[in-house]
Amino acid sequence: MVANPKLERLMNLTAALLDTRVPLTAEALRERVGGYPDDRVAFRRSFERDKDDLREMGIPIRIEEIPDSLPRAEGYLIRNDEYYLRDPGLTADELAALHLATAAVRIDGVQGLGGLWKLGGTPGGLAGAASDSPDVSSELSADPNVVTLFGAMADRQVVTFRYRDTDREVEPHRLEFQRGNWYLAGFDRSREGRRVFRLNRIDGAVQPVGGTGAFVRPEGTPALQLDPWLAGGGDEVLARLRIDAAVAAAAVHELGPDTVEERHDDGSVVVAIPVTNRDAFRTFVLGLLEHAEVLGPPELRDAVVGWLRELSAGGA
Amino acid sequence: MAPKVSATDRMRRLLALVPWIAAHADGAPLEETCRRFGISKAQLLEDFEVVQFVGVYPFTPDALIDVVVDDDRIHLLYADVFRKPLGLTPEEGLALVAAGTALLATPGADPDGPLARGLAKLAGVLGVRPGEDLGVGLGGGVDDFLTTIRQARSTSRRIELDYYSHGRDERTTRTVDPWRLWSQAGHWYLAGYCHLAEGERVFRLDRIAAARVLDEPFEPPATGDDADFLELDALPRAVLDLAPDTRWLAESIPVIASEDRPEGVLRVTLGVTATPWLERILLQLGPAARVVTIDDRLGGPDLAAAAADRVLARYDGPGRAG
Repeated sequence: MVANPKLERLMNLTAALLDTRVPLTAEALRERVGGYPDDRVAFRRSFERDKDDLREMGIPIRIEEIPDSLPRAEGYLIRNDEYYLRDPGLTADELAALHLATAAVRIDGVQGLGGLWKLGGTPGGLAGAASDSPDVSSELSADPNVVTLFGAMADRQVVTFRYRDTDREVEPHRLEFQRGNWYLAGFDRSREGRRVFRLNRIDGAVQPVGGTGAFVRPEGTPALQLDPWLAGGGDEVLARLRIDAAVAAAAVHELGPDTVEERHDDGSVVVAIPVTNRDAFRTFVLGLLEHAEVLGPPELRDAVVGWLRELSAGGA
Repeated sequence: MAPKVSATDRMRRLLALVPWIAAHADGAPLEETCRRFGISKAQLLEDFEVVQFVGVYPFTPDALIDVVVDDDRIHLLYADVFRKPLGLTPEEGLALVAAGTALLATPGADPDGPLARGLAKLAGVLGVRPGEDLGVGLGGGVDDFLTTIRQARSTSRRIELDYYSHGRDERTTRTVDPWRLWSQAGHWYLAGYCHLAEGERVFRLDRIAAARVLDEPFEPPATGDDADFLELDALPRAVLDLAPDTRWLAESIPVIASEDRPEGVLRVTLGVTATPWLERILLQLGPAARVVTIDDRLGGPDLAAAAADRVLARYDGPGRAG
């Protein structure tokens, strides 16, 4: 009369693998754990499925050679230091704050609740907490590779993946979510340089390769540059732009307050922004409709005027 | 019957529950245990019926986990093999560190508070430096407005917004009941009842020019989402042919219908909420977009040319032939 034979078997298998100092063969585990079918083939199938289930939970089952075995045989075990949580020693209010954070900010499809259980569960309704429901929320889009990359980054393990039709071997240094996309900054060993990759342009699955601790993460990975008018490697020019009061606030939010050169009494502003991608700059300016005018340099001003003349009633 | 929970789901929780309970020498209070681990008392007792059959070789009584439940406490003995929980998986680590990092970067977060301290401890055992190795941008440059709106919400006050409507290309001052505040794809949004529009509206925080908290209180909305949804079908339409390298546009704007045409051209039917929105697209795409048909309410076939002339007027008069 067992309430749940599978649950009992999985728990006992984990206990056996954690308790042993020497690797145990499948046969030895069958004896120790119990609850497996007598038939050899059925046992093997059931045992393989159990191992997959445990690995799926994140339980690190090792296969190692059994010492002094003759003929040489391999067995299974779990190393204590690889299984047991390194307890961060959170206080009750720290755990409650992390709980609140995961309630406010979620990554689509990425589960954090199991992690909270491991850290001591979700006490909730804690005295002193301002509120037990967050006043803001956000759901970050997920990417199929973001979990693998986070694990590799934390363990300092090199990864390989296919990007823009070439195979890359990359030291993952920094993960960043910006403007709705995930980015990886790292050292591209195949190109011998620092590169930034957009995760949704990675082809297929990222594979960690080699051991952990394979590199040292550099200090101060530069912030992502996502402004489209600075994408690509064209010559850099400083564009000056007058923007009317109606859209000045919104545009300055986008460009950053450092770009403002002049503020006029009528609410309009003159901004100066570095530009390497002329097409992207034109697209930005035209998004402001008649509320903006390119003041210079003449090259950029003429390009916008020429483009508009092509579209104009009198043009083309 | 309760919904079927898989053995692995129950085990995930047990691997955290067993060490937590075992750490309480005098037993763990049942009620608190259930609350912390989101489990009913019945389910907890059922799971621990299994646990009493769990142990290590040679399964003598002191090698089997001993479960004792009295009135309101649960005691575990001989659970040494499960003395600590399983370590965090990368997925769990990412979920916790990303959430903590994101929230800590919002204005008003206490850099020395419990979240910051907890996050630093957690990141330490995971081997990452929050902010340094993992960054989460929920939307920058709008800290003042976020602070103002959060303050209005916490005191249930209306706010006055000086707002630029991108779609309609007009700036207005409105009174808004701030209902919800969220970040999506790197921008902060506010949803609430707009007294100017007399309906629920969504505002992007980086298009606010000024915001202030008013003295008037507001009532939070009745539960249930009765927002008037955008009815795409009822909007005036425009049909455009998009050149092959601009087909991506169809993925970033609401398209009613699309159809592949020869030579990689994509023909899209758009529902247009406001004329300036369409003008912007046409000016930006230039020769890569061709208007096939357009509703008269939007200004007719000369829409792009007329918009181009308006912009050109800023650059020394209208466009000339040649």
